[in-house]
Amino acid sequence: MSRPASSKPADPAMAAHVLACVDEARGIYELLFPTQRLQFVLSLGSDPLWARPEVIEGAYVPRPQDLGADYLGTVIRPGSRPDAPEVTVRLAIPRPPLPSELKQSDAPWRPIRRLGALFGASPLAYEGLRHQAEMLRKRREERRQTKVALPLGDGSDLIDRPAAPATQHRPAILIGMHWLEMGGAEKLGFDTVTWALAAGLRVFVVASVPAIQRLADRLPDHPDVAFIRLDRYLPHKLWPRYVAQLALTENIRAVHIHHCTPLYESLPMLRMHLPWLQAIDSTHIVEYANGGYPRISGVWSNFLDLQHVISRDLVDYLQGGFHTPPGQVVLGRMRDRDAGVASLPPLRFQPGQTTLHVSFVGRLYYQKRPVVVVEILRALAGWAQKNGVAFTATMVGDGPFDGTITRLLRRYGLTDTVAQMPGQADIPALLGRSDILLLPSNNEGLALVCYEAVAQGCIPISTRVGSQGELLPEDLLVPLAPRASVKATVAAVDRMWRDADVLARHKAGLQEAWTRLSADPTAEEILMPVYRRIAQGDAA
Amino acid sequence: MSVLNRTAAVIVTFNRSAKLMKVLDALQAQTLRPDIILVVDNASTDDTAALVAARGTEDPSIRHLRLPKNLGGAGGFHAGMKAAYQMGAQYFWISDDDAYPEPGAIAALHDALTGFQTQHGWRPSFACSRVDWIDGTLCEMNCPRPVWDWARFVRADAPWVLVDSCSFVSVMIPRWAITEHGLPIAEYFIWFDDAEYTRRIARSYPGLFVPESVVIHDTPDNRGVNFGLIDAKSLWKFRYGARNEASWRRRQGGLLSVLAYAYGVRGQMKRAGIPGRFRRDIYLALIKGYGFRPEIERVTSE
Repeated sequence: MSRPASSKPADPAMAAHVLACVDEARGIYELLFPTQRLQFVLSLGSDPLWARPEVIEGAYVPRPQDLGADYLGTVIRPGSRPDAPEVTVRLAIPRPPLPSELKQSDAPWRPIRRLGALFGASPLAYEGLRHQAEMLRKRREERRQTKVALPLGDGSDLIDRPAAPATQHRPAILIGMHWLEMGGAEKLGFDTVTWALAAGLRVFVVASVPAIQRLADRLPDHPDVAFIRLDRYLPHKLWPRYVAQLALTENIRAVHIHHCTPLYESLPMLRMHLPWLQAIDSTHIVEYANGGYPRISGVWSNFLDLQHVISRDLVDYLQGGFHTPPGQVVLGRMRDRDAGVASLPPLRFQPGQTTLHVSFVGRLYYQKRPVVVVEILRALAGWAQKNGVAFTATMVGDGPFDGTITRLLRRYGLTDTVAQMPGQADIPALLGRSDILLLPSNNEGLALVCYEAVAQGCIPISTRVGSQGELLPEDLLVPLAPRASVKATVAAVDRMWRDADVLARHKAGLQEAWTRLSADPTAEEILMPVYRRIAQGDAA
Repeated sequence: MSVLNRTAAVIVTFNRSAKLMKVLDALQAQTLRPDIILVVDNASTDDTAALVAARGTEDPSIRHLRLPKNLGGAGGFHAGMKAAYQMGAQYFWISDDDAYPEPGAIAALHDALTGFQTQHGWRPSFACSRVDWIDGTLCEMNCPRPVWDWARFVRADAPWVLVDSCSFVSVMIPRWAITEHGLPIAEYFIWFDDAEYTRRIARSYPGLFVPESVVIHDTPDNRGVNFGLIDAKSLWKFRYGARNEASWRRRQGGLLSVLAYAYGVRGQMKRAGIPGRFRRDIYLALIKGYGFRPEIERVTSE
């Protein structure tokens, strides 16, 4: 029996995907606009991450482009009364991601077109040029940046302040993350979800950056944890209204911001209409270009109740730069109390040893400078050959530099020496059999992987960035300039290999720093009491 | 994988009304009929316009796009796909006016495109049929080119081979491929427009050869495309073919690729003893191709 193609039933898998997306989006907008007449104009999108939402408040006259080739249909949610105002939401339903996008959604890295030949001739020279440009940008930004916290008035007692309404719901917390992908800040975000849940709070999680959110399945599978896909369906300008509405509906008593810009932008709304709500943030790294999230945190200092940081450097940055009250900025290290000094194993590296295994662990993005890692491995391979040391290495991580790294390793004849592993590799096991961990990043806070390395008996060598100096002795910190990074790393390994005293000094330095850091409170120790108080209905 | 399945057939024709009517008959008999049948008429001087108009009164899915002059197959496919895109089609079945699809041909291509993505997650950039000649043997000029790992997803119940190039004889292209990669190059006029286009869209992901979808290509003879087959009658087409492929090779691989191609063409002509005056014409076309740099036209849906 012949039938036109358009009458062919929808593919069941795709139909299920579309309907699930529509339900997710409806959930968000029906909460945001509880009484309005809602009209969803739906089309099939070509983007796997983002629904390109467009929200029009007031009467809407459909345009031809609403009914284009990809038009799916219009869903109406009646208003609470016949004359309810109308809100139209245009959404392009994201398509399911392709297998390649599930693995890596960023395009493979390529050198800048005009400098492609330079990279071909000397990757290190290219990196050097890029480094210089970055430092120039940093100097310019430092001159331009203002470090002033936005003022926040207390209001007058003449005017009544809003009070928290009575509610049947148990207290909840809103945890805003950058995204649910691999990363140190994200690791803390996931930990805070677990801690908040353990403290008795219901937990709502949102992310600001549209992404596959590959780690969403690592959120606790618990009825009190909900991941709301604002990243896909809600424009940033509507976040403050949504957050306020969610807070009122779900008895949210606190927001905890982990590198989530639209939640910072929601703070004026919360301070004006929900002043009882506690605002906490956690920050990690001062970025070169614009100060990054610590600067944003500093600017919003007066709107925040608690600013959690992971290093002393950041305490100084916020208190010195933004005059934040001492009690408001709290240090909480990103480590487990269980991994304390008692369990620190001896560091493995020995003078004159005949084998050397070096590891790199990190996402293959420019921040980690994977090209410099390869150059260091190349130089170390040369050093090992000269000194009769059997050299091997492992690079762990995924990212846009994947292909570049593979090609460089092939070009340098290192494919037999250097193993490449995906990001899901068993990191503790790898560090447990590595002598040296390389971290030549162009920026770090206090890298979690350095803690892990020391805890597994592996010596980290890092660039002198962020707060790395709080854990690593001076001689294990190398300059940031790429060529100098390479030379200094090889020199550091050489010194430890030749000179037992130097090695002993480094080991003692690491041990001492480890002990000192162990005395500091952990993030869990700082945040759990706060969460418990919020769960009991008290202020943070 | 789609919830929208509106499909347009784009058939380019020039002065072959009888064969074209057989193609329209074959489309009527499809188990999955195209929603739109767009006949792109390259300014035919026979009774094509009248016959298509008459068919159109019986079958509202038939549309007649008459071009002001003969733009060749390439210009016809370019104009037809552009028009069908504006008509909102999600799938484009592209074919010649002398290729008769078996009743299940279009449904099989559709099922392969959607089924492959459901099973494996990847989006094939096209799906093409097995093209037989009128005696049931393989049509020599319409054999798709497999990729190196062509057998990766071949299964007994889904024997779809990964290919990166095919002819515009019964090939189905999804809308996203046209959105991302643009339209065929009209300036090619004839020959190699299909190979260039399918190779271009296959950069996103290869296409599928779908053997259960069969069309009969009613050509006068069953010959492949080889520069050893040049004669006075076919020389003009070979000139276009040499120019177009040289142009594409310059774009993709630069001068060395063009020289390698020219060397291969020379070998084919030499082995077949092609007369010097024909060879000279082909060499001139190759040189012309090196400087021939047509733009790729993009589409906009709004």
